[in-house]
Amino acid sequence: MPTIVRKTHEQKGAEAEVESFEKRLGPFVVAAEKTRMAMVFSDAKEPNSPIIFANDSFLSLTGYDRKEVLGQNFDFLMVDRADAEALARIAGEFEGRLDGGSEVLYRRKDGSEFWAAIFISPVHDENGDVVQYFASFVDLTKHKEEKAHSQMLIEELNHRVKNTLATVQSVVWQALQANSDPILIKESIESRLFALSRSHDLLTREKWGSAGLLDVLLDVLKPFEVGNGRAERIVIKGDNVRFPPQAALALGIAFNELATNAVKYGSLSNGVGSILIESKIEQTPAGGRLMLQWQEKGGPPVTLPSHIGFGSRVIEHGLAHALQGSAHLDYRPGGLVCTMNIPIPRVKQDG
Amino acid sequence: MDKLLSGRRILVVEDEMLVLMMIEGILDSLGCKSVATAATVDQAVTLIEGQPFDVAMLDVNLNGTKSYPVADALTARGVPFFFSTGNTGPMADGYADRAVLRKPFMSADVATMLTELLPAN
Repeated sequence: MPTIVRKTHEQKGAEAEVESFEKRLGPFVVAAEKTRMAMVFSDAKEPNSPIIFANDSFLSLTGYDRKEVLGQNFDFLMVDRADAEALARIAGEFEGRLDGGSEVLYRRKDGSEFWAAIFISPVHDENGDVVQYFASFVDLTKHKEEKAHSQMLIEELNHRVKNTLATVQSVVWQALQANSDPILIKESIESRLFALSRSHDLLTREKWGSAGLLDVLLDVLKPFEVGNGRAERIVIKGDNVRFPPQAALALGIAFNELATNAVKYGSLSNGVGSILIESKIEQTPAGGRLMLQWQEKGGPPVTLPSHIGFGSRVIEHGLAHALQGSAHLDYRPGGLVCTMNIPIPRVKQDG
Repeated sequence: MDKLLSGRRILVVEDEMLVLMMIEGILDSLGCKSVATAATVDQAVTLIEGQPFDVAMLDVNLNGTKSYPVADALTARGVPFFFSTGNTGPMADGYADRAVLRKPFMSADVATMLTELLPAN
């Protein structure tokens, strides 16, 4: 903090100068006082150019009283008065060598810091001698915050793109492991990428904060509901429990596998079968748990699959792991039943 | 190299379900039968406290949480590990010396990095 000296002889002199300054320039001084740009005048004839005028905006920007500012050296607000680079930039401003304004870190009276661009213009008298410096300050706080925010968004986006590429890599890798028929490989890659894409759309609408279980379900099932009056054959009951992005993506992939299976072999493969997706919340000492059941009926007779495919691995292994819960597929004769028991995550829930 | 990995106890910490499944698949194809997985810091630390591991692979960002406590737990027990991450920037102070696998990665690199960290028999 700068030390504020008692009114010295010099300061009284400076104040007298301001008065004459106000008398001479009348309306311009009023304009300078009232403009929303923070500005000061300093006396170029005195050593260290003491400030002889500071407008209201400057005072509200810095938090100082006018009498604390007048008579001060020009750089008294600088956070680091030994910052040679900043001083050189300011000197450049004084000498008119720079025209873009210099960014300097300043400190308010309350100790808080702010970045400001400083623009300095010399004021000449009739003989061409510099008599005053006129300096205006543009508060860059908002600008700096926005810059930091957009930098953060770029990094976040980059992270997401790289993770998504790794996810796509996994989808391709698994499709190639599971099938040798190019048509099946193509189908399985497309179906999973579309499911991922829909979950991404949902998360984007939710600003990547979290997504609701019912919204994930509705988004994933939408393409499967086309034709055959399937929409009426799918009933969803339960709360829209919110899940963080990674968990929502995992759920989307799992439901896509279930729906794909239902359309190919299950209750959506004929004209009459149906699916009931029902979930309820159970309170336990360790927190709430979501008990979800995907229950198919009315489809062709169920046969146990001959091998463990990607879908069952995703649900019984991947999903259970990603959601720290359990998930089981039960190939009952009357229809496939998938049961999930997952802890309700600690994200902001609706209501 | 494949031989070196078989019979090793490997911990994989990764929150992205499909990425984890691929890593498990890669490890399986290398003959690793003992692979434990975790998706959160708590889960991983509990596993590390409960059983010994020969080597670990650790995603830096777990659902928005940095996995450095897991790195510390591994370091404290002398378990060699490398980071995997979708970030392109440098690692945080104190972790900059660790090997890093950037996502997406080559399947072969997973095996190479794990093998390099294992002490030769």
